Amino acid sequence: MRVRELLTPQHTYVDVHGVSKKRLLDQVAQFAADTCPELTEQLVFDALIARERLGSTGIGEGIAIPHCRMAACDKPIGMLLKLDEAIDFESIDGKLVDLVFVLLVPEANPEQHLKTLSHLAALFNESGFREQLRTATTSENLYQRASSSEEELRLAS
Amino acid sequence: MATPLTLNVLLLIGASLLFVGLLLGNFSLRIGVPSLLVFLLVGMAAGEDGILGLQFSDLNTSYLVSNIALAVILLDGGMRTRLSTFRVGLRPAFTLATLGVALTAALVGGFATWLLDVDWRLGMLLGGIIGSTDAAAVFNVIQGAGLRLNERVASTLEIESGLNDPMAIFITVLLIQFLLNPDGLSVSESMISLITQFGIGAFVGLALGAVLAELLLRIRSNEGLYALLLCSGGVSLFALTGELGGSGFLAVYLAGVIAGNRGGGVGDNVLRSMDSLAWLAQSGMFLLLGLLVTPHELDNHGWPALFIAGFLMFIARPLAVWLCLLPFPFGWREKLFVSWTGLRGAVPIVLAMFPLLAGIEQTRLLFDITFVVVLASLLIQGTSMGWLARALRVAIPGNSEPLQVTAFNGSKDRYLLQFKVEEGARICGDAVTAHSQPQCEAVLLIRQGITQSLTDTLRVVTGDRITWLAPLSEKESLADLCQQVTPSIKRFYGDFTVRGDVLIGDLIGAYGVGSVDDALRTLTIASYFRRRIGGQSVVGDTLMLGGLRLRVRTIDNNRISQVGIRLPH
Repeated sequence: MRVRELLTPQHTYVDVHGVSKKRLLDQVAQFAADTCPELTEQLVFDALIARERLGSTGIGEGIAIPHCRMAACDKPIGMLLKLDEAIDFESIDGKLVDLVFVLLVPEANPEQHLKTLSHLAALFNESGFREQLRTATTSENLYQRASSSEEELRLAS
Repeated sequence: MATPLTLNVLLLIGASLLFVGLLLGNFSLRIGVPSLLVFLLVGMAAGEDGILGLQFSDLNTSYLVSNIALAVILLDGGMRTRLSTFRVGLRPAFTLATLGVALTAALVGGFATWLLDVDWRLGMLLGGIIGSTDAAAVFNVIQGAGLRLNERVASTLEIESGLNDPMAIFITVLLIQFLLNPDGLSVSESMISLITQFGIGAFVGLALGAVLAELLLRIRSNEGLYALLLCSGGVSLFALTGELGGSGFLAVYLAGVIAGNRGGGVGDNVLRSMDSLAWLAQSGMFLLLGLLVTPHELDNHGWPALFIAGFLMFIARPLAVWLCLLPFPFGWREKLFVSWTGLRGAVPIVLAMFPLLAGIEQTRLLFDITFVVVLASLLIQGTSMGWLARALRVAIPGNSEPLQVTAFNGSKDRYLLQFKVEEGARICGDAVTAHSQPQCEAVLLIRQGITQSLTDTLRVVTGDRITWLAPLSEKESLADLCQQVTPSIKRFYGDFTVRGDVLIGDLIGAYGVGSVDDALRTLTIASYFRRRIGGQSVVGDTLMLGGLRLRVRTIDNNRISQVGIRLPH
């Protein structure tokens, strides 16, 4: 699935004050519960934390892609957050994280969701894409740049 | 007649040969040709059938020079072998060096007997002569190709090539005795001879190696002298062991290992000065061997020799390797690579002189064939190794080397390690003091040629040169800190990373893939690797789980600490 199919403008946030990894995931869970009636804050938070316990989802270059499977979800939900200040996410390269893409997926069709996750990781490995998002100032702007990027077109072809 | 003129001419020829050989040899490494091959070819080009037409057929001189050179090369190879690699490499390497050599020798011997239609003892003698892989050639090609092989393969190959010469020498000497005196040798005698060779060799090597290492630790001298001391000590040890009836080759290699690992390792100042002596030994020996051979005579047995080389490379060595490595956790890719890396070098040529010197008939034939086999092996296997390592994925992304490693006077096991911070390295943006611990201290940071004072507010930027005072064992983790995480590293390990102590069940639960039986779910990833691979895991080991590809990324204290995950895409 492409970013435009995962993300909505209301799930795109700029100037999020992350504070710490745990506090950030807490906010993410809150955002998810606020906009998706089928999800509760506690469920999302626990699932994300459970995944982080296996190893950080900070993939380096200031990017984290927290992800988990949610029984209550009926379709994949993406959330994009740009932090006002980079936080320690225990990333593989030790760098602080300032861009976070959260992916919550249903339990059915795991293979397909893994492909989506892999696609997101590949997309965020493109430095051009990262820089585009980092220079976005409003959430509309961020949504536009994330959902219609040249990098994604190139990856798809 | 040694008039001043001929002396100068002699010197001119000798020195310029060495000069040209070293120049070309250094260049050849960059294009993936073993420099040994270049030395041989330069020697041949200067010889009877070549440009200079030099007549050289002094077997005794060649034999003497080769022995000294081999001792120096093995000493150098031993010093570069990290004792920690013995953990994964020793047992497979030992099997290859003993059983493997015997198997290869027997197979090649049988084939040669049939092909050349000679006495079987002569055929077997040929098998023994070309039975061992060459330490110099293997070290040279592995380093020259800029390869970082996975530890299982690298340590096995290195240790094998250091250990297997005694076995080949033993077989050769035994068969020569047998040829000279067919009735005078019993099985028990030859077994005793084998045990003495190995036993005395190992004992003297380890004991005197420790003495040598201890002595050198106490002498603080300039490094040029240090290397000369080591070499003269090593050659004396080699000779002494030989006099006592042991294998000097084994002894000098083991002494090198001891000396190189005493006090946590040696600085690269010592290794660098050893380097020049090892180069001198290699180039001198191979130039001389190239001069010694008469190329047009090689042609007499050209085809049979090439068939034997082919049989050795494609059938005998792979079969022997496959059998020897059965009990060890090698994947088929690794086995294939080890099979192909059976480079032959100086030892077979030197061994081929044994029967010539002993005056056995028909042994010129053996010498010529051996020479062709070595040439073919260096040319075909040597040049394709780098390519094959990448194709078979036994190479792992290399860590950048420190700019400088210097033994620190005043502390037994600590070194000054200087690294240049690459763009986008992990340490960029961090306070340098945050990466400083009591045992691994950042002591100097130079930015654009200016020394900075190390305060908590000093943030590292690209291009800084940082020096740590640390034990050598920290080298890899410091390199990791200062180097760029390149896309190829990401591709190699995958985008996500999990810890080694995570349960398989939790991993499967998180991704919803793969159906494994319940017994596996309670295993950690680390023990899953241990069970599936068997024995020690090394960085780069790979397993599939459902659609996930798991690859060992870091190992701390012999335990898998991080595993990279690549998702299906």
